[in-house]
Amino acid sequence: MNTKNKSETYLEAVLRKGYTRRDFMKFVTYMSAFMGLESSMIGQVAKALETKKRIPVIWEHFQECTGCSESFIRSDHPLAADLILDSISLDYTDTLMAAAGHNAEEAKQASMKENYGKYILVVEGAIPTKDDGVYCTIAGRTAVEILKESAAGAAAIITFGSCSAWGGIQAAYPNPTGSVPVDAIIKDKPIIRVPGCPPIGEVMTGVVVHYATFGTLPALDDMGRPKQFYGKRVHDSCYRRPYFDAGLFAETFDSEEAKKGYCLYKLGCRGPVTYNACGFMEWNNGVSYPIKSGYPCIGCSEKDFWDNGPFTERLENLPGFGIEATADKIGKIVVGAAVAGAAVHAVASNVAKRKELKKHEDRGVFNEKNIKE
Amino acid sequence: MANRIVIDPITRIEGHLRIEAEIKDGKVVNAYSSSTMVRGMEKIVEGRDPRDVWAFVQRACGVCTTVHAIASIRSVEDALGIVVPPNAELARNIVTIAHAFQDHVVHFYHLHALDWVDVTQVLNADPKATSELAQSISSWPKSSPGYFSDVKNRIKKFVESGQLGIFANGYWGHPAMKLPAEVNLLAVAHYLEALEWQKEIVKVHTILGGKNPHPHFLVGGMASSVNVNDAGGLNAEKLAYVGKLLHDAKTFINQVYIPDLLAIASFYKDWGAIGVSGFKNYLSFGDLPADNYRNPSSFKWPQGVILNGDLSKVHEIDIRDTKVFQEFVNKSWYDYSKGKDVGLNPWEGETNIHYTGPKPPYEHLNVDKEYSFVKTPRWNGKPMEVGPLARVLIGFAKGIPEYKEVVNFALKTLDIPVEALFSTLGRTAARGLETKLLTEWGLEFYDRLLTNIKNGDTKMANMDKWDPSTWPKEAKGVGYMEAPRGGLSHWIVIKDGKTDNYQMVVPTTWNASPRDPKGQLSAYEASLIGTPIADPNNPVEILRTIHSFDPCLACAVH
Amino acid sequence: MATTTYNFKRVYVWEIPVRIFHWITAFSTTILIITGFIIADPPAIESNVEATNSYWFGLVRAIHFITAYILIANLIFRLYWAFVGNQFANWRNFIPYTKKGLKNILYVLKVDILLMPDKEHKLSNISIGHNYLAAFSYTIMTVFFILQVMTGLALIGDTSSWWLPKFFHFMVPLFGGDIAVRYVHHILTWLFMAFIVIHVYLVLYHDYVEARGEASAMISGFKFIRAERVEEKEEDIIEKAEKQMWEGDKGDE
Ligand code: HEM
Ligand code: HEM
Ligand code: NFV
Ligand code: SF4
Ligand code: SF4
Ligand code: F3S
Ligand SMILES: [Mg+2]
Repeated sequence: MNTKNKSETYLEAVLRKGYTRRDFMKFVTYMSAFMGLESSMIGQVAKALETKKRIPVIWEHFQECTGCSESFIRSDHPLAADLILDSISLDYTDTLMAAAGHNAEEAKQASMKENYGKYILVVEGAIPTKDDGVYCTIAGRTAVEILKESAAGAAAIITFGSCSAWGGIQAAYPNPTGSVPVDAIIKDKPIIRVPGCPPIGEVMTGVVVHYATFGTLPALDDMGRPKQFYGKRVHDSCYRRPYFDAGLFAETFDSEEAKKGYCLYKLGCRGPVTYNACGFMEWNNGVSYPIKSGYPCIGCSEKDFWDNGPFTERLENLPGFGIEATADKIGKIVVGAAVAGAAVHAVASNVAKRKELKKHEDRGVFNEKNIKE
Repeated sequence: MANRIVIDPITRIEGHLRIEAEIKDGKVVNAYSSSTMVRGMEKIVEGRDPRDVWAFVQRACGVCTTVHAIASIRSVEDALGIVVPPNAELARNIVTIAHAFQDHVVHFYHLHALDWVDVTQVLNADPKATSELAQSISSWPKSSPGYFSDVKNRIKKFVESGQLGIFANGYWGHPAMKLPAEVNLLAVAHYLEALEWQKEIVKVHTILGGKNPHPHFLVGGMASSVNVNDAGGLNAEKLAYVGKLLHDAKTFINQVYIPDLLAIASFYKDWGAIGVSGFKNYLSFGDLPADNYRNPSSFKWPQGVILNGDLSKVHEIDIRDTKVFQEFVNKSWYDYSKGKDVGLNPWEGETNIHYTGPKPPYEHLNVDKEYSFVKTPRWNGKPMEVGPLARVLIGFAKGIPEYKEVVNFALKTLDIPVEALFSTLGRTAARGLETKLLTEWGLEFYDRLLTNIKNGDTKMANMDKWDPSTWPKEAKGVGYMEAPRGGLSHWIVIKDGKTDNYQMVVPTTWNASPRDPKGQLSAYEASLIGTPIADPNNPVEILRTIHSFDPCLACAVH
Repeated sequence: MATTTYNFKRVYVWEIPVRIFHWITAFSTTILIITGFIIADPPAIESNVEATNSYWFGLVRAIHFITAYILIANLIFRLYWAFVGNQFANWRNFIPYTKKGLKNILYVLKVDILLMPDKEHKLSNISIGHNYLAAFSYTIMTVFFILQVMTGLALIGDTSSWWLPKFFHFMVPLFGGDIAVRYVHHILTWLFMAFIVIHVYLVLYHDYVEARGEASAMISGFKFIRAERVEEKEEDIIEKAEKQMWEGDKGDE
């Protein structure tokens, strides 16, 4: 008996039979090819078979440089345009939306209301908290207030960039505006941390596409980052790695060694301590990454990387000891002091304990005599 | 009574800009420009290694990525007397040009176009007529009726989905929208194409600096070293990649951007009289040294000042003259140790953030007192407009043939007088015209780089003064350049190998700043006055003029 | 020349496992410091060998990691021995929780560190095994060793397929990233260096000033103790000392 519910779409039917959405897309692709449709029609075929709402996305901009938005539109697969037109409904973003002022704010409020509990909140930029948040206001309201409002109805939050993920540049010492990352303010929502200054475009769209395609949030590591993009250190897939293992290092820029592609470790490369996709995905659709273009990694996806400088030195300055104090400088002083202390102590003890030492000696001489006797 | 309207956020720009405008009898009679976000970058780089500062200040802006980094490394090189090798100078020029391509094109299609283009009108367009139009103005191959029909269907489907996304609540059907449906379709098709293309041209940065946005830079030269026999270095393959990207950019700009710009402009010629600043002072530091950064006479982007719209004279500038360049904070949320009304040369500049504005949430700023995080720069006490228009006017006024050629071409095509350039239309047109010039210069610099390498000059960096122990105890420098939005200068004081003071005076700082102690308006505020407003509730006209400057407030405040 | 002379007794303090532990510790720590500093700041070398045919830096790191595992095993063993070894090796020596312990620390500080005259001449102040200050320094070192092991394991955790290093990866989010973890690892190295300088010096100092065979004890196992301090048989002292340890010092002088 095979009585099919009339209102069931093909997609639902396919899913009911245990196929995934991807299988479905594959099916549609074959179908279209069979029917001789141009590939640009595939989307439409899929649409006809399943009518699905695009995922609403609210993109907030706080203390930012918009480099993350820029990186997002650099994505090659998917193209940002395809994502915006086909998969998500980007209902609010300062950077691209047509409406401004109250028109923009009203569009946001409408989407948040209609999609309460269902939209994805994207945050670019950090949130200043000092002096009641007056260092970033939009339409007369503070970033803190706006963030709380937009987070309330979000299904999940994606923090794009080191600013919203870690605090970023404005949180660098002395953090003049008391900037904090999103998770310092929002505690009750799943937060996907996508750090990098900015992150790679395909990483950014990749996180969104993962959600759009599989309907689940990507698996995260213990720092809340998607494992698929942040599971490896830059160093682990760096093309200069053979030089590292061979101990062949460039000592300075544009030297013979630098030209030969020697490892940039001694120029302060943070690749060995930086989790990012640069080594295996490379930037701008696989063209290069900083190390490949001759400059060491500065660790731009790591927490507090701004305060781990100087970037071109292996050892960063020790916080709290003034700017030129590396662990080595202090270490040398400590060990030097220990050696000097021991030396002084040695001299002093020969003086202070001279009676005791004399006694030992006398005793020794005395005993020696006794032995002789 | 004037009606005070507020536009906040101004969207399709970079950063947090708020405009408060007083409207009377359908016209703007007074305007206040404010930025409501500050990060304190100048404080953050204090005490840092000057060789690292480029990375920090580059994060002033990810839209005009690279420019702050270049200004920064130049300021350090200036302070320390480092002369970079010719190849590095050429590579930096190529980076600057590739960036201007991307920034200008994105500005035109993705930030500015929706002020003039009505997306919903696409549904009324005839793809065949659009195709004919496209073919009549350009030889760009993607212009078949089928192509435009695909785009139209895509937009139709999108609109019918009911989820309008970034197009929700736009200024559709606004009386100020003048384009025929077909031009709208053409523009929307190229909106999508430009979005796809812009991610290509930035690969020039990826090759030379490792990534974009925010490629890596090096005090003393460029880190991407030349080794034609190694996979790692700049070799034939990588150089060829750069060449191809520059060629493709030239094609795209000449066959898509410029024709679209002129086509759209031809329907908005009345905007040649709107958005005029009044003071009509223009400043350009100049950039793109054909020879060396220390030799401004070799610059492709010319240096100088035009006063009161007088194109018969270009004044010389001396950027090191500490009495000439000053920043004021009388209307800004900062304190100076010497009081509110003094101007400071950036080498003695101070960044003491002190917010005195209304307590959020607020309706209006208190414009009688301080009302912005942007400082107010002045040249010889005068407000200046900076940007593509300034550069093009100065090149034109100097009688440089290339500039005269493109300006005359535009004036003739649009059939407008030269005075129409001092306007919203002029700003938008100048941006396109300089982009056209840049396509030639980019290839010129590229060819010279290839020739140098072929002749055996592979030096990319001068590392003689890399080690801080070789530096003087105290030094100061200024690094300037022409960013897409205009003249940019970074001022550094180095003491004991560390950054002692750092000040950035940014194009948008010039243009978007609040009033100075003499009550003189800066470019945004001055240009808005007189702008006609059909519907105060939907003031798209304000957006047009403001967008014609291509605002960047993260830059302006930093 | 009035010289009193004493009888000394040979006391077996450091059992073989403790001695082996000690020298493995000394040896592996030295190797780890050397290889660690090479990792931190490798020398520049010029080479015409293709990178793929050379692996010296990889080797240095491999030595560091292998030695690290030796150190870890050694440490675990010593922690075990702190419960089953003789009373000089017992964990109670290492935590100055008794009045006697605290008094002894004060004594050592005064007499050995500040070189003040020993007015009391109380025999019980002379330790048979560790003096309490030294013992406490080893406790602090043990904490540092554990931290060093944890940070080290955390650093290799991500590229290792073994659960042990993976387990310690929790340190990374705790510290805020690999950079911070590596930095702590690096700083601790300097503390080890400082400890070694002081430790070796003080061992030699005691050897020189007290002349009881302090240094050689770590090789032979035996120290020389005044006979009056050890009137009873060796076993008796041990028993007494153990009692003291458990019940506190009743003052036996
Ligand atoms: C890398 C160098 C060294 C390290 C890390 C080190 C570490 C230690 C540790 C952890 C202990 C406590 C042993 C225990 O109770 O299980 C100890 C005790 C001792 N070490 Fe070392 N040691 C080092 C070098 C030396 C050297 C070179 C000597 C001899 C000259 C030495 C002589 C001793 C002696 C005599 C003791 C017993 C101290 C006491 O009675 O207070 N150590 N050492
Ligand atoms: C006394 C014990 C140890 C000392 C003195 C020591 C010292 C050092 C030093 C100085 C470094 C260089 C840090 C830098 O890059 O600045 C280092 C790196 C490292 N150590 Fe240790 N270490 C010790 C034990 C361990 C242990 C137990 C492990 C665990 C497996 C370990 C794993 C590592 C790792 C993974 C690195 C980083 C190597 C790399 O980046 O290539 N270390 N160590
Ligand atoms: N104003 C500005 Fe920039 C530019 N162009 C900087 O120098 O945009 Ni972000
Ligand atoms: S993370 Fe970096 S690129 Fe992104 S907004 Fe912040 S500063 Fe800009
Ligand atoms: S260049 Fe950096 S990331 Fe690459 S191998 Fe060397 S240290 Fe590792
Ligand atoms: S600096 Fe950033 S872009 Fe990649 S190589 Fe390093 S994480
Ligand atoms: Mg400034």
